Amino acid sequence: MSGVSHPPRLTSASVLRLKREGGLAHFPGLARPRRLDCSRFSEAQRAELQRLLELTVESCRGDAEPEGADWRRLQLSVEDDSGREIWQLRAIEEAVPMALLEWWRRAESE
Amino acid sequence: MTCVAGPQTFLPPYLLERIAGSASPRLRESARRTLYEDTHFRARAAVSTLPPGSTVRGRPARYVHDAQQLRTLPGELVRAEGSADSGDPAVDEAYHGLGDTYRLFWEVFQRHSLDDRGMALVATVHYGENYENAFWDGRQMVFGDGDGELFNRFTIAVDVIAHELSHGVIAYEGALVYSHQSGALNESLADVFGSLAKQYRDRQRAAEADWLIGAGLFTDRVKGRALRSMAEPGNAYDDPLLGRDPQPGHMDDFVETQDDHGGVHINSGIPNRAYQLAAVALGGYAWESVGPIWYDTLIDSRLASDCEFVPFAELTLDNAVRRFGSSSRQAEAVREAWRGVGVLP
Repeated sequence: MSGVSHPPRLTSASVLRLKREGGLAHFPGLARPRRLDCSRFSEAQRAELQRLLELTVESCRGDAEPEGADWRRLQLSVEDDSGREIWQLRAIEEAVPMALLEWWRRAESE
Repeated sequence: MTCVAGPQTFLPPYLLERIAGSASPRLRESARRTLYEDTHFRARAAVSTLPPGSTVRGRPARYVHDAQQLRTLPGELVRAEGSADSGDPAVDEAYHGLGDTYRLFWEVFQRHSLDDRGMALVATVHYGENYENAFWDGRQMVFGDGDGELFNRFTIAVDVIAHELSHGVIAYEGALVYSHQSGALNESLADVFGSLAKQYRDRQRAAEADWLIGAGLFTDRVKGRALRSMAEPGNAYDDPLLGRDPQPGHMDDFVETQDDHGGVHINSGIPNRAYQLAAVALGGYAWESVGPIWYDTLIDSRLASDCEFVPFAELTLDNAVRRFGSSSRQAEAVREAWRGVGVLP
């Protein structure tokens, strides 16, 4: 996870996708990507999401792939207003703030 | 397609801060924990130095910690080797599950803990809040309490505890790369020794075993029996929220995917079923019949870290021949089992 890039600035046109995978078993229903459409959020909520993405990146910086097995991971991606993916990050859940996992929990799957 | 996150249902940190100062003790505590974790989550550190292991072969050195719903490791030590039951089901299940797994490896394979040198067995329970997973972090086992909606606590199934511990044994022996077919073999071996630990504890013959991994983990709300079925891969659960068990039981149905590290928990259904077919064909106790063949294969120096299904099957067959003879029923059962799942012609 070294060399992770800074997340782009979220605008009202941004779409954030969250995909949770791995763990002790693979559950197709839980692994489906979930979508956060920033146009539906207030400026304060977008700022909050921005802060959480930055915290995640900071948390991942310099980390090597962890040893062990059955870790759960969160795959994050941001799309711009044309639907083009402009940023992606895959992090073990332990590097992800709880509040971002709450966003995942509340988002509907695609 | 739409996001339901909103101020009514979702609590971003600025609201959590308000709740943390609210009158409800339960909400206050929940909000405090979430805020604490988001501020301190990088303070999480795995066990940097393991506690003393066991110098007496045949005796484990167990340490069970309580993370107190935080995501920090290892947490507070709440039960060490030889101490009495704590009264906390998660703590005691972890302690006894470590013991059951140690006993399998020691009494059946004469292996003294994960490294065969008495390595301390360290577990943390009550990890995170409503955390629905268990994992091996390279040095210790970690168990969540489940969310209570889909999952019960992860210590409830001894085969799950043994599964996680077996990842430690695999790391010391085969070091199978955790990706694609070698990763599926890694997962399958963890299931094999997980199921063996349960059967050995309960003195079950192959015909009596349920061949389920993680029975009891799902709450009553889930339409499913367990995480996986070694006898019937693909039929462990079919639930509106979890989806349908994606495991194949035959190479014809092998799943090509980049998800799940290339399907490590998906395609493990194929070697799982081969092992189960051989065990049932031979009858009796699996730890006396096919279990030793799989263990011989795990510790075989010829087992490559990037091993795929075919060379692994051939290696089990070779170990069956070495242990029981080329015309033995054990060798024949192993050969037929791999043919049955389409790995060997």
